[in-house]
Amino acid sequence: MISNYIKLAWRVLGRRKFFTFISLFGISFTLGILMVIFSFLQGELGNNAPNSNKDDLILIETLRLQRIYYDTIPVVDTVMLNGQEIFDTTMETRRRGASRWNSSMNNGIAEEFLQDLPSAENVTIFNGDTQHDVYVNGIKLTLQTLYSDANYWQVFDHQIIEGRTFDDTDMENVAQVTVISTKTAQEYFGTTDNIVDRELLLDGTNFKVIGMYQDKSKIIPFISPDLVIPYSNMTLANQDSYYHGYFTTVIQKRSDVEPDVVKNEILTAATMIPMDHPSKPEGYNEVILMAKTYNEMYAQGIYSDDDASKSLNIMKWVLLGLLTFFIVLPTLNLINLNVSRIMERSSEIGVRKAFGAHQGNIIFQFIIENIIQTILGGILGLGIAIVLMKFINTSGFLGTNTMVFNTKFFIYSFLLTIVFGVVSGFLPAYRMSKLNIVNALKENKI
Amino acid sequence: MIKLDNISKIYRTKTIETTALNEIDLHVPKGEFLSIMGPSGCGKSTLLNIMGLLDLPSSGNILVDGQSLKNFNGKQLAKFRNEKLGFIFQSFHLIPDLSVIDNVELPLLYRSISAKERRSLAAAALEAVGLANRKSHFPNQLSGGQKQRVAIARAIVGKPDIILADEPTGNLDSVMGDEVMDILIRLNRENKTTIVMVTHDERMAKKTDRLVRLYDGTQVA
Ligand SMILES: Nc1ncnc2c1ncn2[C@@H]1O[C@H](COP(=O)(O)OP(=O)(O)OP(=O)(O)O)[C@@H](O)[C@H]1O
Ligand SMILES: [Mg+2]
Repeated sequence: MISNYIKLAWRVLGRRKFFTFISLFGISFTLGILMVIFSFLQGELGNNAPNSNKDDLILIETLRLQRIYYDTIPVVDTVMLNGQEIFDTTMETRRRGASRWNSSMNNGIAEEFLQDLPSAENVTIFNGDTQHDVYVNGIKLTLQTLYSDANYWQVFDHQIIEGRTFDDTDMENVAQVTVISTKTAQEYFGTTDNIVDRELLLDGTNFKVIGMYQDKSKIIPFISPDLVIPYSNMTLANQDSYYHGYFTTVIQKRSDVEPDVVKNEILTAATMIPMDHPSKPEGYNEVILMAKTYNEMYAQGIYSDDDASKSLNIMKWVLLGLLTFFIVLPTLNLINLNVSRIMERSSEIGVRKAFGAHQGNIIFQFIIENIIQTILGGILGLGIAIVLMKFINTSGFLGTNTMVFNTKFFIYSFLLTIVFGVVSGFLPAYRMSKLNIVNALKENKI
Repeated sequence: MIKLDNISKIYRTKTIETTALNEIDLHVPKGEFLSIMGPSGCGKSTLLNIMGLLDLPSSGNILVDGQSLKNFNGKQLAKFRNEKLGFIFQSFHLIPDLSVIDNVELPLLYRSISAKERRSLAAAALEAVGLANRKSHFPNQLSGGQKQRVAIARAIVGKPDIILADEPTGNLDSVMGDEVMDILIRLNRENKTTIVMVTHDERMAKKTDRLVRLYDGTQVA
């Protein structure tokens, strides 16, 4: 029976070429685009080097000094007591306002208070905001410099192509060494061969290259800097106030604990920070370390709400909405096309029912037809996705990042295709299966 | 074989009420070749559809092969039609996307029969209508008479007890009409298939065992 339906589906598709083209185009284009978007997000947000630990990372980019003002207002109540009016005064405190000062933290705070969180596996401190202008044969080259501790190399698993990364001894000795990306090597030295022991001139100081890592273009600068230097070399270390400074802390939690546990530990750690340091600006009496997960950081980058987890929530809804839109729209379109296509075949439905098909047979037949059609669309969409990715990769839109075809996603989208097929086929099939036989077979349809 | 008891069919719309059939009593014994005649709009097709369980009467009872079908659900009716009844329509109603043999196989799709057996039964039915050499043609490659012979093959492939034919020769010229008629008569004689045929053609009606005339929904002869 199924083989007959498949044969028929094939004939029907071939006979109505224009319809087939339109609907296949709709399905395959949607699926193709979805596949490309997914593989882009996978590359950008996925757990791949140097971001393999991403799900365990908690970031503290902001230290907030704050003070909340309270007003104390006397409230006078009249109370009847023993037939006599008496006055009872209570004091009520109301929050009047708050003053806040957000800035990145001083490395000292991270060194002193964030090293021993119970649920942390690793901690790294760095500044990723510095840019250096260097000159290669008289041409200016702007490099994104990251000043970090040695732990950076464990928290972020850059793929080391040559040489080594720096260690705690280099940090202590204020060694003038740097680890550079393959991109920097290519741009600065014109080659990626034998980079170790060469020198790179930054702001009048020669830094010895001790290693080179594979460059990955990412949106977030501290994941893909152009070069990394021990932060003991940084003139801005220990600058500003005891509280504020120029550093970001990333905590790699143990994978068996929830992010909220670490966030709470961070809140607790912040309460240990003394509030009586002479460098403290006037008027603040509280310090808060603003911690967020990686995904919250991304979400905040796109939808900037002060509250990172709120941003993530909104992002999730927006993404879900977009995805639904992407899927629902072509499905509706398909349903529409299918209705008119099946309508043309009312006489066939009438004949089948007259000769013994029941409602279920008819629905089954049309759903099979639709699934075949959408699977064809899915295969075409796969082709479109591969071509698009190839195009994007060779055009260099994504820098040195390449989109990789994702088999798992292909399987998901294939299943999605079948859902497409069933959903867009069911409604019209159901409607037509209920068709009255006599009407379906009317000799002269007007 | 078919027994109609006081069958009426009334079509109601908001403004008008049409009595398509008015209290019809009719008995078609097993093996009879019955023809129905009457002017256009008198209710012939309606009657045939009710006999074929394609439509429900407004009132009255039908017994087919001794069974009352009052309490059958859609699925049971479909099975009953599949096993007991075969249909032939004036405008053939072949499925254009299917080859001749696939069209003929259609009723067998709704039975549990192997593909191989389906093929051979369909081939035999085509043989019986003289179209063994047109198996893999498509309907639009056939003449009207050939199309109707394919439709007859489809109606007989499941070896039904009853064939209901609504103007089977209505769209054919007299030569092709005679061919089709000869096949039906042979079926009736050789296989003892009960046939009810609606026709406008006195000549065809004369070849059948009995003639029933309808006028305005009422049986007049
Ligand atoms: N779905 C319907 N709704 C309303 N009236 C209908 C419907 N189907 C048929 N009729 C009416 O019922 C009457 C009988 O119709 P029927 O099709 O049985 O006629 P017929 O004898 O087969 O005519 P013809 O020889 O032209 O095929 C007609 O008056 C027709 O208008
Ligand atoms: Mg009629």
